[in-house]
Amino acid sequence: MANVFSSIGNWVNERAPNMMPAYRKHMTEYYAPKNFNLWYYFGSLAIVVLVNQIVTGIFLTMNFKPSAAEAFNSVEYIMRDVEWGWLIRYMHSTGASLFFVVVFLHMFRGLLYGSYHKPRELVWLLGMLIFLVLMAEAFMGYVLPWGNMSFWGAKVIISLFGTIPVIGNSLVEWIMGDFLPADATINRFFALHVIALPLVLLLLVVLHIAALHEVGSNNPDGVEIKKGPKGNRWDDHKPADGIPFHPYYTVKDLFGVGFFLTIAAFIIFFVPTFGGWFLEHDNFIPANNLVTPTHIKPSWYFTPFYAILRMIPSFFGTAFWGVLGMFGAIALLFVLPWIDKGKVRSVRYRGTGYKVALFALAFSFIGLALVGAGVVGEWVQEILTPMLPPLSNAAFWKDSPFWASSTFWENLVGRLLTAMYFGYFVFLWAYTRFGWEKTKPVPDRVVYDHD
Amino acid sequence: MTMTKRQLLMKKYVSSIALVFGLLVGATSAMASEEGGLPSAGTNVNDQASLQRGAKLFFNYCVGCHSLKYVRYSRISEDLGLSEKEVMDNLNFTGDKFGDPVISHMPEASGRQFFGKAPPDLSLEVRAKGADWVYGYLNSFYLDPSRPVGWNNAVFANASMPNPLWELQGLQTAEMKADDKDAVEKLELSQPGKLTPAQFKQATRDLTSFLEYAAEPAALQRQRYGIWVLLFLAGFTLLAYTLKKEYWKDVH
Amino acid sequence: MANEVVDHGRRRFLTATTAVVGGVGVVAAVVPFIKSWEPSARAKAAGAPYTADISKIEAGQMVTFAWRSLPVFVVNRSKTQLDALPSQDGRLVDPKSDSGSAEQQPKYAQNEARSIKPEWLVLVGLCTHLGCVPDFVPVMKPEPFDPEWKGGFYCPCHKSRYDMAGRVYQGVPAPKNLLVPPHHFVDDTHIQIGVDPKEAG
Repeated sequence: MANVFSSIGNWVNERAPNMMPAYRKHMTEYYAPKNFNLWYYFGSLAIVVLVNQIVTGIFLTMNFKPSAAEAFNSVEYIMRDVEWGWLIRYMHSTGASLFFVVVFLHMFRGLLYGSYHKPRELVWLLGMLIFLVLMAEAFMGYVLPWGNMSFWGAKVIISLFGTIPVIGNSLVEWIMGDFLPADATINRFFALHVIALPLVLLLLVVLHIAALHEVGSNNPDGVEIKKGPKGNRWDDHKPADGIPFHPYYTVKDLFGVGFFLTIAAFIIFFVPTFGGWFLEHDNFIPANNLVTPTHIKPSWYFTPFYAILRMIPSFFGTAFWGVLGMFGAIALLFVLPWIDKGKVRSVRYRGTGYKVALFALAFSFIGLALVGAGVVGEWVQEILTPMLPPLSNAAFWKDSPFWASSTFWENLVGRLLTAMYFGYFVFLWAYTRFGWEKTKPVPDRVVYDHD
Repeated sequence: MTMTKRQLLMKKYVSSIALVFGLLVGATSAMASEEGGLPSAGTNVNDQASLQRGAKLFFNYCVGCHSLKYVRYSRISEDLGLSEKEVMDNLNFTGDKFGDPVISHMPEASGRQFFGKAPPDLSLEVRAKGADWVYGYLNSFYLDPSRPVGWNNAVFANASMPNPLWELQGLQTAEMKADDKDAVEKLELSQPGKLTPAQFKQATRDLTSFLEYAAEPAALQRQRYGIWVLLFLAGFTLLAYTLKKEYWKDVH
Repeated sequence: MANEVVDHGRRRFLTATTAVVGGVGVVAAVVPFIKSWEPSARAKAAGAPYTADISKIEAGQMVTFAWRSLPVFVVNRSKTQLDALPSQDGRLVDPKSDSGSAEQQPKYAQNEARSIKPEWLVLVGLCTHLGCVPDFVPVMKPEPFDPEWKGGFYCPCHKSRYDMAGRVYQGVPAPKNLLVPPHHFVDDTHIQIGVDPKEAG
């Protein structure tokens, strides 16, 4: 048996002599720092989710009908009449949300340990492009079931392009191929969702990993292991603090995958709608172009950006500023490597100002997500009401509209958080540009406390 | 020495696992209880007897106007533990075939004529509105002479539907709030029906259970399989963890 | 680093165990995807047994019904047509339906007339050559494709011929007799196609 394998191996090697070296370069001879922690699971988990989305997506297309008249029915057909169709659909819908959970954590890891600093700017930029394409992919997928949230989500998001001066209105009609989201819209979104964007996504993922393997992985200490001492038990010329990706990180990631799948399975089998966050109640009502759902909001993973959009009022007669703010929030992340001129990478050795600012950024992001989901205004009102007895007086409540409205609180909190989000980038630039940051000494070698 | 350190690490992993699951369960139960102000329906789709009673109510009182166009009679038979004959004799009054979906035979036009709009399909009602809402709705009809059909509903104001279960429940009248004439303060049973209030609550609970089942028949399967999938994955994860520990002995 | 001891046996055992358990998991995960290709509840409902009303079919006439989207021929054979059947045996590939065509009918229809009641012939109307729908040519008269024609089915695609019991003639492309689907008599005027007599009880 072993002979058969080795002779097949030789046969392939003769004809493709660079294949084994490529495998070694990326697996057994890719030396990754040995001190990866919990935050380093999310890259491989993102690949697992991507594979899940592709496989379940292919099987969904086998029964889904991309037409305004049939889409909703075909989804229920999958859920009820197709053998195991419900599982395939829940795997896809849960996977979509978990994709964003994993990607947000993966991105935050980059911020924590300064993984975007030189020489990894290209890795970061490719990652940001993946994020952008992923958002487009998720949005179009969300439209396909053609429930009432799909329909109105499509209407609202496409209308964002209508705020672009001069060409806006004709651009909106061009995207929809009609005057409202319609058959033409769902059909073209289907094409983009199932083939065009996945191809782009796969290409970007390959480039993202290739770019990473050119420069090598960063680590929680932000120490460049290539610049440290050489020689480990596998190779005298490789970094002393590096270990072969395979088998050490493959087995470690395997454990991460097992743990992640357990959580995913819990959601898929026991709470597939996740209380209306992963599959929304109003999306079980077929698309109705005459009735907008009462609680219209995008999927949870868009809510932080959606909140920024809502918090910026229109002025000079155009709503373009909100759209600009929303896309600006993403654009700023793109240029982060050039905003942050800090001398050290890892949060472990950065100044206190950076730690506070990073916490504020994470806080504002989660806060904006809640604002975008429309739950913050009522919360604040509920908390404040008993604290301020005169305000809880019903008559007074009614006479003072701006205190009484949850919208007032929502806007107040939302605008503070928006300022906090953008403030991070401004602060970071000034903090590092003018040398205000007092860093701690970075060790020469990575810190690894083994047992 | 090494053992204690490993135990510490193990403890760290176990507690983080517990934390993640705790957060998940906490988050889901918090979200579940978020439906503002409605009494809990207390439904259980795994209670087959309740589903059977609910199905009987649905086919006696609801299917005249409302369809379940995504649910087949054959699927009801399979999931509710009823034979083909029982379903066809006791539930199917329209003469449709066993494999057909449940379609009301009321023409849409007459629905519009009687109620102002065609009665909606109820296949996904519980997924769209929630079980508590449906249960609350079924219990909150009251007489209101100002409405075209003479009925109103405290959960869904100005609903165009009369109470289909009035013979069972009896007649309710509403006492309006002092400061808001359009808001219901409380409902009172002015004329008792065939069932006691407690029996009626149970009947509407059964009916809501059946509609909850109809909204997602797969719920029965996924919970049944889910437990085995979780056990398997937990075992695999533990195995992968042991494997990782074994390999990482090399790393110092 | 010098004093470490790697237990290769344990390592190999754990690797193999994880691989096997993981493999079982992958196989289990593949099953639902394979099963999703089986006929859905809708297809099964559409393919449910079909009850045909045969009260209006005159002797010598044929009516086509749809069962599982397949054309099912129901023929009410006349006395003359039935009497002509044995005379064809010498020209047929498998007159007793017991060699090549043994699987082409249920046991209860494995007889000269290939039917439960002699006059009522029930066939899936698809040629056993490449699946075309044969024409019903009941009149006994010399035909261009057969000067000694005693009535039967003629496939326009590749000129296969069958007699009044759906038995295939020698020297044509089709290899087997036409398929008799499971069926039984609900009463004198109704046939249920898709259910065997013993299943119906």
